[in-house]
This record gives sequence, structure tokens and C-alpha cells, in this order.
Amino acid sequence: MFSFQISAKRIVVSLRRNLRQRMSLQLALLLGFWMAGSLLVHLGRLPIPAGIAGMFLVLAMLATGRISLRSLSKGAGLLISEMLLFFVPAVLAVLDHREFLGLLGLKLLAAILVGIFAVMCVTALTADLCFWLMRRGEGYAHS
Amino acid sequence: MHTAEWWLAGAFWSAVTIVFYLISKRIHRRFGLWWTSPLMLAPIFVIILALLLHQSYGSYIGHTHWLVSLLGPATVAFAIPIWERRVLIGRYWPVLVAGVLAGSATAMVSAWLLANFFGLDRSLRLSLLPRSMSTPFAMTVSGDIGGIPELTAVFVVLTGVFGAALGELILALIPLRSVIARGSLFGMGAHGAGVAKATEIGADEGAVAGLVMVLAGVFNVLMAPFVLHLLRTSLR
Repeated sequence: MFSFQISAKRIVVSLRRNLRQRMSLQLALLLGFWMAGSLLVHLGRLPIPAGIAGMFLVLAMLATGRISLRSLSKGAGLLISEMLLFFVPAVLAVLDHREFLGLLGLKLLAAILVGIFAVMCVTALTADLCFWLMRRGEGYAHS
Repeated sequence: MHTAEWWLAGAFWSAVTIVFYLISKRIHRRFGLWWTSPLMLAPIFVIILALLLHQSYGSYIGHTHWLVSLLGPATVAFAIPIWERRVLIGRYWPVLVAGVLAGSATAMVSAWLLANFFGLDRSLRLSLLPRSMSTPFAMTVSGDIGGIPELTAVFVVLTGVFGAALGELILALIPLRSVIARGSLFGMGAHGAGVAKATEIGADEGAVAGLVMVLAGVFNVLMAPFVLHLLRTSLR
């Protein structure tokens, strides 16, 4: 019984050590969290994508200390740095929308470009203004 | 059950997509121009090959959809950079919320006004509304308000592609003081592709962009019923 406990402990310890070094295990774990998120969304009929539910699950685990940052950070780094690859197949959807190749496409493109420009400028300027106001408020509070 | 041929074609198109992505990444590292971004160049290469081989989008995406699905685990992965910057985020959350509110309002109003200006029809107009959110959010909202989700998905992708490039231009034009402002413009304006771009600019910017993308998505899904109500009353 005692030896069984020791060997079980050893397995957990070696798994943890592996998890900190092995990229594939970390990726598998992230995939697992995504699936858990998808289950959660499905069962709870939540109006959010599975990936976001999974993200909140990981944040909750990190906050309660059930999982360490190091056991996910390598895998997460890889997924984030290669994220653009995952968008590439989706861009090919334009193959099915040849009607966008003419004037309509130019109009839509113009609407999208001007829209992005407006959204980005307003977001950044609002955030910067708020940041400046907060900083100034903190400055007064300290002085 | 799929045939051996199907698996072979799947392996071929997946490999083509990955290899072209890696090549464009190389090219982008060498030249660093906005149009050499892997999100611009790689699809162009794949589209040319697909046209040459008479490959339809339907069967191409059937073979490569697993790559798009990896956006799910990639979203999960953002828990790590967000957690690492919890102090910064906890301190400046009002800034983030203000940016998301202002950005979401601008996205909706500008899409509506621009669609009116260009005389786009009703279904195009409604499909255009949720385009600054990330795909799963945008498709949900599009269906809710009466747009065509598949069309919205195309607009979302175009927004990502051009937004990532446009964001860099805006950074060069407007001197922004805070990491929060620099990150949030990418997360708000160009969702996942913008987050990837922001990560290239700086790790802090990337984490902020990721969080803003998530906040914007959640906020907009919650707002969709109100927007729908507004549209119904204004269209009557």
C-alpha cells in the first residue's frame, strides 16, 4: 500500500516535470481546455465561443493555483505566435464570392477600410484620453 | 468514411497551406512591408494554386478546416499573457472598458452609415454590422440580427487582414502614450489577426489586444438584442 502511494506520487511528479518541458503535452492540455470549454458552452447554452469559455477556465485554474503558469506557457506561446496560420484557410472564402470582384467589392472594401480606420482611431484615442485622466487623477491623489 | 484519396488531398492542401504560410513568414521577416504579411501573401499563393488546380473553396475548407479550428485553443492560450499582466489590467481596467465601449459604438454606427452611403442592400448591410468581432461572435450576432453569417465570416476575415495592416499605419500616424491604447486598437479593430499583429509589436500590446478582443466579443453578443430592437424600430 505504502509503495503504491509512493509510485503514484512519483508518476504525478514526473508528469508535472514533463509538462514543464514538453511542448506536445502543453498543446494537448490547451486542446483539452478548449474541449472542456466547448462542453461547458453546450451544456450551459452560453452565448460565447468555446475558446473563450476555455480561456476563462484556465484563468480560474491559474487564480486558484490549481495549475502553474509554466505548465502552459510554452504551448500557449507557440499557438499565439503562429495564430495567423489559422486564418489563412478562411481567407479563401473569397473564392466563393466572385461577385465581390467588381464594383460591389470595391464599395464593400471601402466601407470596411473606412470602418476599421474609424474604429481604431476612436478606440485608441478614447483609451489614451482615459489613461491620461487616470494618470492625472493618481498624480493629484499622491501629491 | 473517407476514402484514401480524400485523406491524401487533405494532407496535400494542409501541407500547401502550412508551407506557403512559412514561406510568407520568411518573406515578411526579410521585407517587413504591410502587404508581405503572412495574412496577405499566404492566401494569395494558395488562391493561385487553387485556381490552377480547379479546387473549389468547399472542398478546400473541408480539408483545411482543422487549421481554422485551432483558433479555439489559440484563444484559450490567451489566458497566459492576460494572467501575466493581471496587475496592469487590474489597474487600468476602466481604460479598457472605455476603449471597448467607444470602439463597439463606432463599429456599429460607422458600418451602418457607410453601408447607407454606398447604397448596399439590407442583407449586406446587416452582415456588415458585426464584422469587427472575432468570427464565432460575429457569426452569432449576424444570424441574430438578420444578416447572412457566411457573408459576415468573409467580412470578418477581410477586416482582420486589412485591419492588421491599417493598425500599423495608425500607430505611425498618431503618437499613443499608453500600451493600453496601442493594444486595444488592434484587438477592437482587427480581432484575432490584430491580436497577432499586436503581439509582433510587443508582448504587452498583444495581451491587451487579446483581452480587448474578448471583452468586445462578449459585450457585443450581450448588446445584440438591443441593437436588433433599435434596427427594428428604425426600419419601420
